[in-house]
Amino acid sequence: MTAAVAAPGAARRCRSRGSRSTLTRGSGVALGLSLTWFSVLVLLPLAAVVAAAAAGGWSRYASVLGNDQTWAAIRLTVTQSLGVTALNVVVGTAIAWVLVRDHFWGKRLLDVIIDVPFALPTIVAGLVLLSLYGPRSPIGVNLAFTRYAVFGALAFVTLPFIVRTVQPVLEELDADAEEAAASLGAGRFTILRRIVLPALAPAITAGAALSFARAISEYGSLVLLSGSKPFQTEVVSVRMLTFVESGNEGAAAALASVMLAIALAVIVVLDIVQRRVARRG
Amino acid sequence: MSIDVQHITKRFGDFVALDDVSVTIPSGGLTALLGPSGGGKSTLLRVIAGLESADAGSVHIEGTDATRLAPQKRNVGFVFQHYAVFKHLTVARNVAFGLEVRKVPRAQVRQKVHELLELVHLSQFADRMPSQLSGGQRQRMALARALAVEPSVLLLDEPFGALDAKVRKELRDWLRRLHDEVHVTTVFVTHDQEEALEVADEIVVVNGGRVEQVGTPDELYDAPANDFVMGFLGEVTSLGGRVLRPHDVELETGPGRDAAREAIVTRVLRIGFETRVLAETVQGEQVTVVMTRTHARTLELVEGMTVWLSAAPGAVSVAAPTGAAGGSDERDPAVPLAV
Repeated sequence: MTAAVAAPGAARRCRSRGSRSTLTRGSGVALGLSLTWFSVLVLLPLAAVVAAAAAGGWSRYASVLGNDQTWAAIRLTVTQSLGVTALNVVVGTAIAWVLVRDHFWGKRLLDVIIDVPFALPTIVAGLVLLSLYGPRSPIGVNLAFTRYAVFGALAFVTLPFIVRTVQPVLEELDADAEEAAASLGAGRFTILRRIVLPALAPAITAGAALSFARAISEYGSLVLLSGSKPFQTEVVSVRMLTFVESGNEGAAAALASVMLAIALAVIVVLDIVQRRVARRG
Repeated sequence: MSIDVQHITKRFGDFVALDDVSVTIPSGGLTALLGPSGGGKSTLLRVIAGLESADAGSVHIEGTDATRLAPQKRNVGFVFQHYAVFKHLTVARNVAFGLEVRKVPRAQVRQKVHELLELVHLSQFADRMPSQLSGGQRQRMALARALAVEPSVLLLDEPFGALDAKVRKELRDWLRRLHDEVHVTTVFVTHDQEEALEVADEIVVVNGGRVEQVGTPDELYDAPANDFVMGFLGEVTSLGGRVLRPHDVELETGPGRDAAREAIVTRVLRIGFETRVLAETVQGEQVTVVMTRTHARTLELVEGMTVWLSAAPGAVSVAAPTGAAGGSDERDPAVPLAV
């Protein structure tokens, strides 16, 4: 068949792509502008923080990380953020699924409300949580000054991320492939695991990265309800603010660069996981 | 009988996609569901596959009542118009999918996938991703995937609809040969009458949610049940309240036969080897006549000339639909159909 004969050439062209630059003059200028903007906005400040942290040498790092209170804050922030992200992966995907695949009364309203935690100023979110789960809770649930408060606040503000990244991908997902799998004998769970999840993996990972990044940086929504008790409910951003307020900017920078490394590590791990899932099927 | 569909009705809101449809499809044959878009043929196929549940009626596949059976349990192979490939799996793993789901031992899966890829001429592409294949290759992969589970029936929904004309024709011939090799009961949906006439053993004409006629390509062409079937299988014109093929109209330059109708030639078109004459009878009927160029030349036809038209002896004709209704407007004889 002629179509079969023509294909190897096409594949060879595919393989060679990516090795050579395709920049034209216009896109070269655009790339230059965006890199400059990105540098001014992101890379230079980051470099400045790392430089400020490094100025104190390893001993500064050692003293910051050796501080039990700081270490407890890092542990709390990272574990709570990972926990919240894991919860969002499940709940966020489920909400996106319901919003795309099911039809029910109030669906439009739910679709709009999903964004509220994201749109609210974080301190307002904190106030909302405090009024419902604080000491004067009308429903009798008092989470104030506990780790549940940290978890709840993080879950509240990060809820929309995975929903909003998965939703459009799910909408575009080809229902044919699922029907094909069904007629080949695959049950609902197998279809979900082998056909749907690999297609959603990149979106879920992107949402998880956003959710984790937001969680480790959260301040406003949890500061009211958690009470920021040292060794118990104090998160990194609160600890850092304490450093800055007490004039210890070097320690703040060291802590900041540690958080930067953690964020990078998590993003890389998520990317690896995503590639695995997308290929496995 | 391999597939037995009885009194199937399916509604989507107010729209009746299938209206009390009954049809039986014989074992081992290659059957076409032919009809215009939106006529219900794809819905019928999806009901047979279990991808759509009917509001009323029953479906039996190989003697088992499949009406309430999930698609997973029907043992049908389904091929989609837009291939429905599993994008993240290689060609070989796409084909292996149904076998893996059935927990077939690995060595056996590998053997079977190899055989099938050979059958659809894709052996050298086993480790490619579907995105690296052409449309025709993807559809052959989808076919191999559907055949892997050894289905009792193979259902194809406009399988060549998304392909260009040349590949379409190649695949059509190839499907016919494949069917002669594999002998699985096959039903395919198409809106292309040429495709149906060329490939199928039997054609089911579906229109407006109903079955218009069932028969072999010859039966449908030579003895159409009504003007719809006749019009759908080829070009038609009307003369004296009868619908017939334009090449079955005889044109004479003098009044000879009793039934001949007087008409004025309004247009003479030469298209390739044939000549197409448009004429208006004194009763105001627009008639299309198709003849060979040689014949047209001997008659020395010019526009404005008076001629006499009659149905050729032995011509197949059916009664014209009464009134303007009946959906005959797209077959208005005054408008020459695309050639």
